[in-house]
Amino acid sequence: MTPRTFHRQVFWLIAAGVTAVVISLLFVVSPASAKPTGQETVKYCLTCHGDPTLSTTLPSGETLSLYVAEDDLRHSVHSAVGIECEACHNDISEYPHPAIKFQTKRELSLSYYQTCEKCHSSNYQKTQDSMHAQAAAAGNQNAPVCTDCHGAHDIRPPDEPRSLISETCGQCHSQIVETYKQSVHGAALMNDENPDVPVCTTCHGVHNIQDPRTSQFRVAEPELCAGCHANKELMDKYGLSSDVYDIYKRSWHGVDVSVYKARWPTIWHDSAVCSDCHGIHDIRSTGDPSSMVNPKNLLNTCRQCHPSAGPNWTDAWTGHNPISLERTPFLFYVDKFYGSFTPFVLWVCVIYVVLQIIRNTVDRVRRNRP
Amino acid sequence: MSGTQAKSTPLARQERTFLRFTLGQRWEHALLFLSILVLLLTGLPQKYREFSISQDLLATPDQVYLIQNIHHAAAILLSLVVLYHLGRILVLMSRRSLPGDLLPTMQDLRDAGHMIQYLLFLRKDKPKFGRYNFEQKVTYWVVFFSVAIMGISGLIIWFPIQATSFLPGGVVPAAKLAHSTESVVLAIFILIWHIYHVHIERLNLSMFTGRLSEDEMRTYHEKEYERLVGQSGEKK
Repeated sequence: MTPRTFHRQVFWLIAAGVTAVVISLLFVVSPASAKPTGQETVKYCLTCHGDPTLSTTLPSGETLSLYVAEDDLRHSVHSAVGIECEACHNDISEYPHPAIKFQTKRELSLSYYQTCEKCHSSNYQKTQDSMHAQAAAAGNQNAPVCTDCHGAHDIRPPDEPRSLISETCGQCHSQIVETYKQSVHGAALMNDENPDVPVCTTCHGVHNIQDPRTSQFRVAEPELCAGCHANKELMDKYGLSSDVYDIYKRSWHGVDVSVYKARWPTIWHDSAVCSDCHGIHDIRSTGDPSSMVNPKNLLNTCRQCHPSAGPNWTDAWTGHNPISLERTPFLFYVDKFYGSFTPFVLWVCVIYVVLQIIRNTVDRVRRNRP
Repeated sequence: MSGTQAKSTPLARQERTFLRFTLGQRWEHALLFLSILVLLLTGLPQKYREFSISQDLLATPDQVYLIQNIHHAAAILLSLVVLYHLGRILVLMSRRSLPGDLLPTMQDLRDAGHMIQYLLFLRKDKPKFGRYNFEQKVTYWVVFFSVAIMGISGLIIWFPIQATSFLPGGVVPAAKLAHSTESVVLAIFILIWHIYHVHIERLNLSMFTGRLSEDEMRTYHEKEYERLVGQSGEKK
């Protein structure tokens, strides 16, 4: 081995070593550019914040507990993906912490929830268009923000179990949720965790919840209900008719409402939509004696809009049923009659007139022939 | 009923004309025509809302109410015409002077059969008609019953609460369907049957002028012509 070959070998060894280090560095560095996972900050923060007695007093006089239960954090959806304290508490990076600048507990919540936008920007933006954001803009400090519905340290899937959604809304809308629980939908949810019945968010939306008292919401309501009630497969499961929406659309009320929806959605119209007769949060099965549309109560329900209606009036409503001899004999016979009378008149007129035209033309041609 | 009226001047022998409709009858027809036209023009767009012409007409809620009010006004006019017509029939009946020319007879069936044979080239001659031929009688009675159905069903859906105070509730949706469908039947009938017979087959304006010429009478109402001329001819 000459010194020259030796030097050359050393050179190549060094070169290979450097290359290996560079390549391995690339592998190490690229995942390291994301934050290191693990629960180190949690552990670190909980050395103090794991103390249940830790608290401070805010300028408002409220006692703010600074305790964070480890159990809450461990079951939170964020822990599983390694999102830690400072992801949200991004104003705290050192110890001792800077002084708390909030006057009240609510002020603190209204500030911290904004960090949700960092990751959940789409849902965050939706809430900014919601009825709740409008209430907040109007000065209602209690209008809910992300953490009011989802929790803070203990964020869990919001729909496990499904009834949790309605319970969450019930924290503020308690009376409505109590009414809902008595309804055919709510009872099925509360008692059986029924997977099909609507919960609050099914009808009202999730993050961009809109004011349900507007004319736009009103005229869109039949379609909202039709989302389930025109679904044959779903309705068959509960022995309900899936024709209700189609028949409603052809009814006096339904035609009015669909015209207003298509053309003047911002103009209020009184023609009945589903909830006017069936109730809103208190919808009950037609067979339920306390249902607004139970035959016993139907006339009173009609009288909400038609105050002078007499007892025969309820039969003027075909009740979402297709035309049948048993239920709607007058309609049945009129329908049968015109089913043949209209084409009969049309064809007699057309055939008679065409024959006349042919005959008269032939006559005229013959007469003019020399 | 005045039979014939011979117009002649010493200078030139003008054509004889025959009075076919009295002034009252012509007014009835004119108002019937006007009200049915307005009713169809304001009713059909409400039935067929999806057409763009309907959407133009019913452009705003205010315009919908306006159209409905015009429809109701025309309905009142038509009702007055109908009441006058029925009242006139009663008066003439009480005087035992209702001519009854428009009542359907067996002869009309025979005429219709004859006409169909003629139209199918099975006969060479047309039937000879009296004062009103069977086509005109069909026109009268179809419009008569159509207007009756439209009027009754229209009143029921205009005043449903009052109607159900003495009628079963089921008549309301039935009236709505009947009103909506019968209107189309009537429109088809007038547009095809009536317009053909009075404008296309021949221009027959006697409902407006009140008169038919001697030639027309002889051609289209031969029996009536013979009856009238025979009578007056004997008188001469």
